Amino acid sequence: MSEHLDKLPFEEYCKTVFNKDTLYEKPEALAGFRGLSCTMYILGPAAANYLAELGAQVMKIEVPRMGEPMRHCAPYNEPWYYPCSRWNPGRGTSPAFQGANNNEYFITMDYRKEECKELFYSLIRKSDFMIWNYRPRTFDRWKIGYRYCKDVNPRVVLLWEGGFGGYGPGRNWASYDILGQAKGGCFSITGWQAGKPCGFPSKHTTWIMDYHCGMMGSHFLLAMLYWRDAVSKEGNFGELSQVQGSTRKTEYALPLWGRHGVVRMRWGNWDTELCVNGIIRCGKSSYPDSENPQEKEVGYILVSAYENEEFAKLMKLIGRNDLLEKYGKSDDRVEANAQEELYPALEEWAADKTKEEVEGIMTQNGIRSQPVWNTKEVVNHPHWNERGSMMWYDDPYYGDVLTQGPIYKMSDTPPRVKYVHRPVGADNEEIYQGLLGVPLDKIKEMESKEMI
Amino acid sequence: MASAEELRDKQAESNKEVKNAACLWPINPIVTFEQVYDPKVCPEEQREFSGVLESWVHPNLAMGKAEALKGIRILDCGLGGYQLNTHWGTGQLGELGAEVIMVEPPGGSPLRKLTPFGRKKYMFQDVFGGECGGTFLHECRNKQSITLNLENEEGREIFKKLVRHVDVVWENAPPGQFDAWGIGYRQLSKINPRLVYVWCGQRGQWGPLKDRPGEVYPCGDASNGWVHGTGMPESFGGTPMRAGERAADLICGSLATHGTLAALIYRLKSGQGQFIEVTGAEGHMRILDYSYGWHGMDGSIRPRYGNWDLAINIYSVNPCKDGYMMIGGGHDRLWYRIWKAVGKDRPELEDMILDEPTLRVVVDRVGHDQQVKTCTILTDWLKDQTRDESRRKLLEEEVAAGGVSFIDEVSEEQHYKYRRHVHAIQTLHYGKILFGDTLYQGHKTPGRVKNLGRPVGYDNQDVFMKFFGYGPNKLNELVDKGII
Repeated sequence: MSEHLDKLPFEEYCKTVFNKDTLYEKPEALAGFRGLSCTMYILGPAAANYLAELGAQVMKIEVPRMGEPMRHCAPYNEPWYYPCSRWNPGRGTSPAFQGANNNEYFITMDYRKEECKELFYSLIRKSDFMIWNYRPRTFDRWKIGYRYCKDVNPRVVLLWEGGFGGYGPGRNWASYDILGQAKGGCFSITGWQAGKPCGFPSKHTTWIMDYHCGMMGSHFLLAMLYWRDAVSKEGNFGELSQVQGSTRKTEYALPLWGRHGVVRMRWGNWDTELCVNGIIRCGKSSYPDSENPQEKEVGYILVSAYENEEFAKLMKLIGRNDLLEKYGKSDDRVEANAQEELYPALEEWAADKTKEEVEGIMTQNGIRSQPVWNTKEVVNHPHWNERGSMMWYDDPYYGDVLTQGPIYKMSDTPPRVKYVHRPVGADNEEIYQGLLGVPLDKIKEMESKEMI
Repeated sequence: MASAEELRDKQAESNKEVKNAACLWPINPIVTFEQVYDPKVCPEEQREFSGVLESWVHPNLAMGKAEALKGIRILDCGLGGYQLNTHWGTGQLGELGAEVIMVEPPGGSPLRKLTPFGRKKYMFQDVFGGECGGTFLHECRNKQSITLNLENEEGREIFKKLVRHVDVVWENAPPGQFDAWGIGYRQLSKINPRLVYVWCGQRGQWGPLKDRPGEVYPCGDASNGWVHGTGMPESFGGTPMRAGERAADLICGSLATHGTLAALIYRLKSGQGQFIEVTGAEGHMRILDYSYGWHGMDGSIRPRYGNWDLAINIYSVNPCKDGYMMIGGGHDRLWYRIWKAVGKDRPELEDMILDEPTLRVVVDRVGHDQQVKTCTILTDWLKDQTRDESRRKLLEEEVAAGGVSFIDEVSEEQHYKYRRHVHAIQTLHYGKILFGDTLYQGHKTPGRVKNLGRPVGYDNQDVFMKFFGYGPNKLNELVDKGII
């Protein structure tokens, strides 16, 4: 096998080792790990989800009947996955829930109830990790926080994630994704400059702070698991603030402010450190006859030619030798005034072209470009399908579901999507009976008491 | 090349100067434990819990604790271009205790030269007279720097020898570059079967859209639908919008860290390393919440919705007296509290909301017309409120709210200073630097930032001596040949 691989051209080699069709034949990196996800919204669920994609058995605990709030939060209140649960067949689950809860086991428990404590402890005894994102003191008050769990299972690794963090002057402040963006700093550096149309701070459209900080929580948890298994055999506890992630991601902003007293501001679709590397407007729509306004609007394209030779090529291409003479040196054209001159010149040139036409011309001339694609264009691009990053999935519960592929590619133990999610409490029997050995009649009883 | 002693003398001499380099932080003194948990305002059980929690995780107590990744050695070879993915990702591994060695081309990484608007005056001087930009400095955490010319045959031979001693290699060269040089995963795994090899990029190293040389942010984000969905709608005069920070590169780095750790955990069992590929486009696409599920259901193309939210009303940023204000509360519990706060100043606005039949049910009020109505009424109140005033009033009703803060305001937020979200340290070579501290606050193995920045090739002597026994003469020879 190995010899055969050695002889392949590099691209063929990659296609072989990262082949999406052989994912399921390979072992899983975290097979044998089991954990609890006592989470809601995105920050906490995302952290657990990444581990479930790598093969850990993640048991997601939701409140009985309705499940967590993210199941009930959809764009324009449009589409739903049915059913929400066996108790609630008339309701559905929002697509916003999808993508943060892949491959998990869905059980229910009302932890507030005193009689659920022992049940919770027995799950902790069987777990390697737990993730939760309730308010800081809530689990401690219910006696299922770190100081209780570590006595129940000294090898369990716990991760608490929250908005502003568990202690400090703002410990009682709640946060959302977009609040993290706003209060942490990322919001203030995104958007057009003051004075331009829509020249105000702009939010990142996805729940990026939740997802990205969840990701960082997730690898923090992996590091603690590694330390447990490779070094100490001990459990551990970590906490992570989502708002802090927003501050951490502002690149040069903090050093610049601290040393030079300059506040990093917005620079729209251009780049403060490289030029030309910006997104320009193409005057013509790619789908002028479409009835969908998302398609009908004009196109945008990233043009990237920051090295001197590339820049020279680009300026000759658009017939602006004057600008080439003026800004031939890299440092000169990164200056603010130069950028204010260069991008409008490019947009003037692209005014009578679609983004595909611009892309074609750029490619012919050896200049990098990347059209700004909408959801539909992305879904239908063969690149993502070939790589298994975008796929139609035949989900056992919900039928055909369009979903993003696994988080990244690994040659030997690749992450994979097994199912997108399941209704609330779908795995109660599997976990309570199968894992803990609770008799079925007892499960029924717990259910009637709304413990689960 | 100067000898170690010469370097040390030179450093001691110029240290004085750089150490005195101004750092404007903190302007107001940082609050103390007693102030934060003053018994007069803080209930005893909260004080007790916070005290215990701080004793577990406060970063001031991190030094001296164990490091989760102690003993893991990583080569970051992703410093040949302008992508930030590997530099960011290995910085995280450095925070967690791994030994990270940056392998830079002779003369240093091009990333070092990046500075806002190309302005030299915004760069940071090191004690040897070298300089680097803020982005490089901020992500250069606990790292060492060596120089090695991988374009050179002899340089690659040295690299191969170095790989015997490491656990992880990261790179972000154009697709197939390292493989063509004979130092890709196929070749290196024969030298060191335990090696975990990570490639980071924009859109991939294979497939119809594989990366071209020189591809940088926001290429990945333009190709995955994210840019198209961010910014104001066209009807509002808006355009698609990139993120201010290199969002996809950072996500790529964080995921690559994730993959590296998963592979290291699996290696405990298997004894084998593996090849990992992470891209910014796919990483960010993966977390583009409901865009694709929604498209799959009914063909909708996610529209740009500016600073409002398609799925929740209200969960949006609107203008106020001194800037922009985020207010969130879609479900009834918070919804009515928001209007209660508004009603204290403007009862007629509260009435307008409460009397509007289409705004009564959570799912009904997500429609576009309802959002316009909601935000219009809210902004009528906000226009007379500063960010702080409105936030105070909303917090009284326990509603999550906050103004859009600029970096100077972020730096002075007491909560952040107290928790060290923002912190300044005296670095070895660059004076005192204000930075965003590690997110990994933990009990037994917290992350920590011990040092920021590293002059080019600072660790050449150490590293080449440690692994190959090269002395100063051999190093000088390599310098002359352009290999280091």
